[in-house]
Amino acid sequence: MEAAKEQKSVYLREFEAMPATGETWLDDLRRRAMADFERQGFPHRRIEAWKNANLASLAQQHFPPAAPGADIDGYLRKLTESVPDALRMVFVDGHFSARHSDLTDLPEGLRMVSLAEAFEAGDVTTDAHFGRHADTGEHPFAALSTAFARDGALIELAPGTIVERPVVLHYFTSEGGAGMASYPRLLVHAGTGSEVRLVEHHAGVADEPYLTCPVSEIVVDDNAGVRLQHLQESGNGAWHLGVVHVELGRDARFGMHAFSGGARFGRTDVYVNLNGSGAQASLNGLYMVSSGQFADYHTWVRHRTDHGSSEQYFKGVLDGKAESVFDGLIHVAKGAQQTDSQQQNRNLLLSPRATAHSNPRLEIYADDVKCGHGSTVGELDADALFYLRSRGLGEREARRLLIFAFANETLDSMTAPELRDHVEARLANWLDDDRAGGSG
Amino acid sequence: MAMLEIRNLHVSVGGEEILKGIDLAVDAGEVHAIMGPNGSGKSTLAKVLAGHDGYEVTQGEVLYEGEDLLELEPEERARKGVFLGFQYPVEIPGVANTYFLKAAVNAIRKHRGEGEIDAMEFLKHIREKMKLVKMDDALLKRPVNEGVSGGEKKRNEVFQMAVLEPKFAILDETDSGLDIDALRTVAEGVNVMRTPERGFLLITHYQRLLNYIQPDRVHVLLDGRVVKSGDKTLAEELEKSGYALFEDNAA
Ligand SMILES: Nc1ncnc2c1ncn2[C@@H]1O[C@H](COP(=O)(O)OP(=O)(O)OP(=O)(O)O)[C@@H](O)[C@H]1O
Ligand SMILES: [Mg+2]
Repeated sequence: MEAAKEQKSVYLREFEAMPATGETWLDDLRRRAMADFERQGFPHRRIEAWKNANLASLAQQHFPPAAPGADIDGYLRKLTESVPDALRMVFVDGHFSARHSDLTDLPEGLRMVSLAEAFEAGDVTTDAHFGRHADTGEHPFAALSTAFARDGALIELAPGTIVERPVVLHYFTSEGGAGMASYPRLLVHAGTGSEVRLVEHHAGVADEPYLTCPVSEIVVDDNAGVRLQHLQESGNGAWHLGVVHVELGRDARFGMHAFSGGARFGRTDVYVNLNGSGAQASLNGLYMVSSGQFADYHTWVRHRTDHGSSEQYFKGVLDGKAESVFDGLIHVAKGAQQTDSQQQNRNLLLSPRATAHSNPRLEIYADDVKCGHGSTVGELDADALFYLRSRGLGEREARRLLIFAFANETLDSMTAPELRDHVEARLANWLDDDRAGGSG
Repeated sequence: MAMLEIRNLHVSVGGEEILKGIDLAVDAGEVHAIMGPNGSGKSTLAKVLAGHDGYEVTQGEVLYEGEDLLELEPEERARKGVFLGFQYPVEIPGVANTYFLKAAVNAIRKHRGEGEIDAMEFLKHIREKMKLVKMDDALLKRPVNEGVSGGEKKRNEVFQMAVLEPKFAILDETDSGLDIDALRTVAEGVNVMRTPERGFLLITHYQRLLNYIQPDRVHVLLDGRVVKSGDKTLAEELEKSGYALFEDNAA
């Protein structure tokens, strides 16, 4: 460990070989982030926030940055059909692909450009916000991302702008991206009183190892609202280590629904800072974990001032030798009176070999607050199963129905209801893959 | 031959014998009542007949329409027309009553070699049965047994029975905890379904039910044994003197 630290990591050597931009703020930011990564390295199990993560084989491999220009035409049709009439930006292996994207008829007050373009143009919003929020000092993959990211989406809403059409961001890892790393970024700045609904969709080539570290920074000004549908459907060989970081102003609202079914190792850290009075955050999600997969949601909800409310409701379904983590922080600062914060995590184990870690963390320093949490890990209810069978349903059908009902409940809070069919179909296929077990 | 024939049935849970040799035969068209105090084994008998795998049959057999019932999976029994109304109906969060009933109806139809029920036909069928048990439409969209009173759950059991039209129904204390209106509804549900082809086993704690449903036979179950059988006057006798009378017989 110490010996390894004396040498430069292969990522640092790679970083140093990349050309500087000449934009001082950006070059400095990247250098600091790289230093943050170099100091932390790949996290090991002795670090509390990573105690359940086995990253040994990630650390042993090397994933160089993926090049632009790969083709994904075959896959794209499915992507676009899933959310019709959307404003759409497509990223292939982390790079913006204009020809796959659809930015026609942008409503007034909405700006959507690629970050590469914004960096090039010396854009002031990126200067003010890019890499300023995601914590590179604490999260090694946020650090790696800030150091290496060269592209992504910049979405800016002028004050008062209401965007009716959904804004969809597809991040796709192509066959050319196999064995490579991508660092797609999203920067959203929603001006006062503006509103937008986003879909962040991650997918990629099957059966191939790759690394993706998507980092989204979402700044929601006073009384603005951002809703995010997050879909982690990375390829089943992927290391997916992402961050969603949200800053909320006074009366600002953030609603997120996350679904994950992909990646060999999939972790998303969701940071929400409620900085202004009356800010509201709602984080919901469902993770569906197959044998050999590891799924992890870490939430960091920090109430920094009064009258904020937050709710978190995550459910997991695990099969075979699957492993999951839900680790949820509710932090209520000393002055954050009248906070209402709730958290629930429920896990359904379909196999005795599956493991679900559920770890609520409550740090409450204000006295006049309403905070609650609950967490469960259990199997299918044997009484319910018998009840259904006693009415004629086969064992397999009964199990399937109970699993589906358990998972489906979380889809009521999807922020992109037009994707509900897509997620339900994924769930149904997953159950068809003989996971419901039983006979008949 | 009787529709349901229980011969020398012994059942254990965790090594402890709970049913200690039950003999009982119910013919098609008959209603038999089983009465017994707390813990006498009534629900154990009901669950064994429905195929619950938590009970071990150590001796004896059960024939249903001449077939070995104990060999069948719970769903096979249901598809062949056996119905259990649960003493404690189970809540199934996230599964709407209509969806559940349709799945059950179709499972039974499939077993009979029939196709899936037509949506309109299904709706008409369940509306008719809802009227019978005086339930309102709102129930259909609600999750099975969730957030309703004990009485509503019992009524829902009778509703399910009416919808599924079993050949042999076992009702485990479907009358317990009901006020008189609900009890009348439950009784009417049973009486309407009483036909020469159908058999009933009514498990009850209270003689009151038998004022509304006239049984053909009454059996007294005590400590895992049928200690006395008779006609409906036995229930009245029991109401007056209590189980103590039979405890002497059993000893
Ligand atoms: N799953 C089980 N595990 C352990 N003991 C059981 C189980 N089921 C029943 N028993 C025991 O078997 C005996 C009979 O129980 P059962 O539920 O059949 O009685 P019952 O006649 O239905 O009573 P009640 O009037 O209370 O409904 C009781 O002593 C009970 O504790
Ligand atoms: Mg009982």
